[in-house]
Amino acid sequence: MSKYATPEEYNLADLLCCAASREVRDNEIVFAGTGLPMVAIMLGQKTHAPNLKLIFEAGTLDGRPPELPTSVGDARCETGASRSSGLNDAFSIAQRGLVDLGYLGGAEIDLYGNVNTTCIGNYLEPELRLTGSGGNPDINSWSKRTVFIMVHEKRRFVEQVSYITSPGWRVKKWPGGEWVHRRELYGAAYQGGPSAVISTAGVFRFDEEEGYMYLDTYHPGKTVEEVKALCQFDLDVSRVQGETLPPTREELHIIHEVLDPDEIFIPKNKPTS
Amino acid sequence: MGNGKKITMQEAVELVKNGSSLTFSGFTIWRRPIAFVFELIRQKKSGLHLIEVNGGSHTELLVGAGCVDVWESCWVGHELYGKYGANLSRKVGTKEIIVEDYSHAEMMFRFSAAASGAPYAATQASLGTDIHNPEYDMLGRAGKRDGKRIAKHKYIFTEDPFYDAGQIVLIPAVKIDVAVLCVQQVGEEGTVRIAGQYYSDPEACRAADITIVVAEEIVPESYLRRHADQNTIPSFEVDYIVECPYGAHPTGMFGRYDVDGAFLKDFYSKTRTQEGFDAFAKEWIFGQDHISYLEKLGWSRMLKLRANTALNYSPRR
Repeated sequence: MSKYATPEEYNLADLLCCAASREVRDNEIVFAGTGLPMVAIMLGQKTHAPNLKLIFEAGTLDGRPPELPTSVGDARCETGASRSSGLNDAFSIAQRGLVDLGYLGGAEIDLYGNVNTTCIGNYLEPELRLTGSGGNPDINSWSKRTVFIMVHEKRRFVEQVSYITSPGWRVKKWPGGEWVHRRELYGAAYQGGPSAVISTAGVFRFDEEEGYMYLDTYHPGKTVEEVKALCQFDLDVSRVQGETLPPTREELHIIHEVLDPDEIFIPKNKPTS
Repeated sequence: MGNGKKITMQEAVELVKNGSSLTFSGFTIWRRPIAFVFELIRQKKSGLHLIEVNGGSHTELLVGAGCVDVWESCWVGHELYGKYGANLSRKVGTKEIIVEDYSHAEMMFRFSAAASGAPYAATQASLGTDIHNPEYDMLGRAGKRDGKRIAKHKYIFTEDPFYDAGQIVLIPAVKIDVAVLCVQQVGEEGTVRIAGQYYSDPEACRAADITIVVAEEIVPESYLRRHADQNTIPSFEVDYIVECPYGAHPTGMFGRYDVDGAFLKDFYSKTRTQEGFDAFAKEWIFGQDHISYLEKLGWSRMLKLRANTALNYSPRR
């Protein structure tokens, strides 16, 4: 029997979680936000990256929560932690350049990996005000690599986001607003940038020199053409490697029996639409 | 003993003048001074300028009740119990509120600057984003940048003059009239001991002109002073203390009680409209005091939230 699960054995959230967890390498320092990113990183910790160090924005450093926190401020975060402190510590560590990988989300993303979590429509006359940035731009600014986990809809994969909340590879240099490569703007603070987007349709990576997104793998059941049609920009599909690897049975067991048995963030296998 | 710092909740809220700049302890849905916020709403405070490292359920309450003119921060919502701040969102749409966006780290560093008496901080956070778009200086657009309590500029862009590190953004220290902290323990003289992550509370306290501490319990100062290394805030930084058990509900408190997710979910779904908010306020805020609020919640609900003292949270199974 293959170690990989069959399509009947997992759902889309499982697939996203596993794809995201495979982005982390052992011994890395990782900054994870609330929700699916948290499960993904803890899955990595229980599989191929047992020595990763987990930082929660609210102030937990190298935490090992036995029960899944519902947010980074949760009392559960700091169980087994090396240190419990506050945001000044967490953000100073990030600005110091100690973070290898950040896991984030967003409402909209553009060709260059710029992400919006602030508003839909013109900022001055918004159709909908969203949560705001939170630490998304900060973590993304200072991590060597950033992984975005997103719902894939055509309205979310746009030519240009309504508002750049979090910086991609080509960004605006203020006060003038000229488009420049991220490396040029960040100077000595440059660490890297978005390295992967894991959407409900596929896994995307970036040409870091030119600064644009390309399709790496498409999820089982999708085609390259379908994924391309889900983007408002002209998606580069010249480097596609094939299908996204499905979850293994071991990973599914860890997600549903160990990390999130109460289905706080990841529902147990039910047919996906 | 105690330097006369102990006052009632009602007296504490009376210290907040209309138009004040306010900040709070906690993080999104943890350790927010909700009992204090309910009393601010009962006393119909208006024109408040909230300056927060991050917002949360308490922000949504104050904004929904119409107490807030300006919200300066980076995030509002109820985590997984409500995906965004529906009250703030509604009032941004109707232009009843001014929102000034900074990034999370920028807000933190603005508080750190204020807490150390520095006029501003220098950072390389969030370069290249629309957070730095000069068109989006909302307090500037509203003509409110007087250089007194509100900085003359939202940002100043400069280049690192020392090591040529590249573009640097200067961000102004916050000016806070009143900080309200909700914590586990405070001593009679004001020493604060926070259990668990202290978020940005020490900076919020030191940045403010007046700090009011709402604690689950007031304990003998001598008890806290036996282990001074475990204390978070020194006595003299605290001006007033209020005792209020379960004062953070429905937000959570490390070691004492969990977030009341069902309550927040209900609040989020029912207060998407102003009518919905008003009905919520009528049911849970007006005509209530803290004791009647707790009685309305009831023992079975509160016992389910109660933290296991060894684990510091209420285990799910």
